[in-house]
Amino acid sequence: MTKDKILAIVKTNLLDILEDVEEDAITSDKSMKDLGANSLDIVEVVSTSMRELKVKVPRAKLNDLKNIGELVDVLYEEVQAKADA
Amino acid sequence: MAEALVTITKDEQGVAILQMQDSVKKNALGTAFVEALTHALEEVSSDPEVRVCVLRGLEDVFCAGGDQDLLVALAEGEVVASDIMLSRAVLEVPVPTIAVMEGHAVGGGLTMGICCDIVMMARESRYGCSFMNMGFTPGMGTTRLLALAVGDYIAAEMMLGGQFFRGSHFEGRSQINYILPREKMWRKATQIASAIAEKPRFALEMLKRDLSLKKRRLFEEARTSEVPMHQVCFTQPETARRIRENYVSNKKES
Repeated sequence: MTKDKILAIVKTNLLDILEDVEEDAITSDKSMKDLGANSLDIVEVVSTSMRELKVKVPRAKLNDLKNIGELVDVLYEEVQAKADA
Repeated sequence: MAEALVTITKDEQGVAILQMQDSVKKNALGTAFVEALTHALEEVSSDPEVRVCVLRGLEDVFCAGGDQDLLVALAEGEVVASDIMLSRAVLEVPVPTIAVMEGHAVGGGLTMGICCDIVMMARESRYGCSFMNMGFTPGMGTTRLLALAVGDYIAAEMMLGGQFFRGSHFEGRSQINYILPREKMWRKATQIASAIAEKPRFALEMLKRDLSLKKRRLFEEARTSEVPMHQVCFTQPETARRIRENYVSNKKES
């Protein structure tokens, strides 16, 4: 699983969940808030992506993320950790 | 002194607006907030001039559901879930109630809204049943009352899956009175409230009591099965851990 694949998964879920976002507007340096997501939109995007990747990141670790790229990094770490285990 | 967690304003028509405004904890149902809200509901209920009660939250959050500390206390057996009788307090308001859920409503917060006679959601806010995300079965009457609002199948999906659906998801598939863009809700709510407030109090009180019988019955039925299910859930060591790990905090803007 590459970071690009994880970004693609997050992107698909963002498009599903936010409905009114343009695909081109989603980039790693942006936060979901920049894209108009509210707090529970973000929870839904993250939960759905974690389910799809079959990983679970503790909420505490998710609270300080600044943009989509950082979310992808955290998800990637978990996917790697799971693969190594 | 800190701003009051819940305020009541009343106009000459008899419209009482009960405003939940804990902007720090985002109207989460913690001990102080539940006390303030229960007190406000009692005050409205005992005021003979009130003809309709409008329940309103913050712009972004109507009510966040059980506060994490309270849920952990429940899981650790320090508090008994049946003590939290907020749903009953809303159901027992003697005059018609309107829930104007402009912001998110989660878990017990959503159920509290649904206990009202008339319910409004915002298209862009999210509504969900988070109990099972934290490893325990729904409470506050949710197991019976949610289905009344959104139908059996959608209620089952919400309770089992714990997703947060946009208000727009319920358009055309629920009993919710109005699902509107957030900025249009308040105007509509005041129109509904005024139409009710024109009617005589004695007639409103009788009709409200009569119409709410179904909900009150369902609530009692729900409590009968929710309490023993909680007794099982809250004795599992896993539950406290799940609450700590999966509680979605609205306290901080992220």
